[in-house]
Amino acid sequence: MSQATPLESRLVTTGVERLALLGRHAEALMQGYTQEEVPLAGLSATALRRLLAARIVWRPDEQGGVKLTPKVRELIAEMTADEARRHVNADVAEALERLRSLVASYRESSARGDYWQQEQQLLRLRQSVDDMNGRFFDAIDSLWQRLNSDFGFVSKLSDKVRENGRAQKQVVRLLDGLELIDFDELIQLVGRDGTLRKLLVSQLQQQVSQHYTSLREVQQRLIELMARFRKMQARSRLVAGMEAFLREHPGFTPGNYAQRSDVPILCNRAAPLVAAGSVALDRSQDLPTLSALVSQLPTPSRPAQVASAAAPAQQSEDAAVAARQQALKEDVEGFYLAVVDRDEPAPHSALDYLAERALGWPDEIWLFQVIAEYQGLPRSEQQAFRLLPEEEKAADYNDVRLIRDVALQLAVAP
Amino acid sequence: MNDTESPLDQNMLLHGPLLERLLAGEFVCAVSDESAFQRLQDEALRDALDTYLRPLNRRLASNAEQSVYFLAWRQLDDSAREQLSRQLGDALNSLLPLLEWLQLVQEALGRDSVLTPGDVLKPGELQAKSEDNPSLRERIERLATDSFFGSQSDQLDAQIKQVFKRLKEHGYLLQPHGERQVYLATGKVDYLLDLVRFIRDEERLPVTEESDAQETLL
Repeated sequence: MSQATPLESRLVTTGVERLALLGRHAEALMQGYTQEEVPLAGLSATALRRLLAARIVWRPDEQGGVKLTPKVRELIAEMTADEARRHVNADVAEALERLRSLVASYRESSARGDYWQQEQQLLRLRQSVDDMNGRFFDAIDSLWQRLNSDFGFVSKLSDKVRENGRAQKQVVRLLDGLELIDFDELIQLVGRDGTLRKLLVSQLQQQVSQHYTSLREVQQRLIELMARFRKMQARSRLVAGMEAFLREHPGFTPGNYAQRSDVPILCNRAAPLVAAGSVALDRSQDLPTLSALVSQLPTPSRPAQVASAAAPAQQSEDAAVAARQQALKEDVEGFYLAVVDRDEPAPHSALDYLAERALGWPDEIWLFQVIAEYQGLPRSEQQAFRLLPEEEKAADYNDVRLIRDVALQLAVAP
Repeated sequence: MNDTESPLDQNMLLHGPLLERLLAGEFVCAVSDESAFQRLQDEALRDALDTYLRPLNRRLASNAEQSVYFLAWRQLDDSAREQLSRQLGDALNSLLPLLEWLQLVQEALGRDSVLTPGDVLKPGELQAKSEDNPSLRERIERLATDSFFGSQSDQLDAQIKQVFKRLKEHGYLLQPHGERQVYLATGKVDYLLDLVRFIRDEERLPVTEESDAQETLL
């Protein structure tokens, strides 16, 4: 702008000075942003006065501290995409009002032939349209940021639900705002002026339709996310509620749903079935595989067992069984002594002795023990007796020999 | 194989492992077996499996959301009903410890919601959170020594280990890598909550999921 007026150049100078204040006191201001007040410790009286004059900070009451002004807070929130503090401005009516009055001024300047003034009006008009678009862009950007982070800037699910609700209301307000832009009215307003027509009709129409599309998509996503949040909430409440109920009612037993004529699907879980398989040798083509498997089996290695390792098993033998075993052994020894003591040298039947003494052992066990006793004797003593088994064939065509009885006789002394 | 085999048989050959898992009583979800779960989205395959399972008196079943599949009896005879009654009794006995555990994990790890299929759980994380928190420790101890979890130990790490082991055995958790202490929640958690919801509805229990009621109370 080579033709800048004195007013304009003073404005530029002041603006540059004041913007610089933001940079110079950035740290103090950011502390004021994150905390309640701007710390005054590092600020000189002059600096504070300048900040107050630039309406970067203000003092809500005489006694209180110094705080950031809302606009600066918004600026920082916008610059840092701080979704917890970002503000969505959906006030379209005000912006439209401003456009109308600027168009009126522009037309007047044009009618007067004041081209310089006309240029200025056009510049402001462009800026106003940009501002209005910018608000939608910022708002939509802010909404996407929140969506994409699953409202990560708040930690509690209930806060997320509330934030989502707030965002949905913002979308509705923004959509309502877009509704206010009446293109029939704008077409009439711009008349035949090509520049205005381009700015306020064709360009704006394209931008507005873009905003619509974006907002509808955001709205859809917000609703989906809300449904997910609600479902998560419902699950938590169900678990907490049921847990509390069961704890308070330890004896609670629901109906036996399995006995109903129509068993609820959730209560119908079939018993597990194991699909077992075993080695089968009836298919010749499998034999190589099976023999390969067998050859891969590790050789069972049985380490030599020391006697003590087997001891517990002996100890655990039932005492009653051991006692009966001992009684049987003693009775059999009695039989051997009886044979030794007998006068006649004829063989003495073991079963007869069993019957005579009414010892009550089953025949088979008795005979088995008599034979075992004989075999257990040292060879020298074994020679003193002669064991005569009384055998017979199991059947005519079966050569297995069955022992009917054994007789014991003292061997004739050599 | 030979040429006379029908397409259906060929198809079933592919699904042998899935059938075996289902028959063994496992729950199949997107976490426990993603590819099988994807295949089960096909209604034609579900019908084919049902046909295959018919002689075994079983059919494919799922929860309402179809997030988890399992086998149900096709015909309910007396012995099946008896088995289901026993199973229901077991499920009811494990309900309180399982719900307590779900809540404990949610609170201890500061999560937004109840464990959801696919969520990652690390025993070490739970242990770290409980070490400096006596009330949490006490809750874990009480839970671990419950007969459902059956821990005999008085050591926190052993108790947590036992709880995870039992949850894995019961199919609520999956350990993708045997040597790593990282677990995933399975679709059986969904089944559990569906069962809880069902019991609540059937018995008309005063347990609400509605947010509005809760919020007005607050």
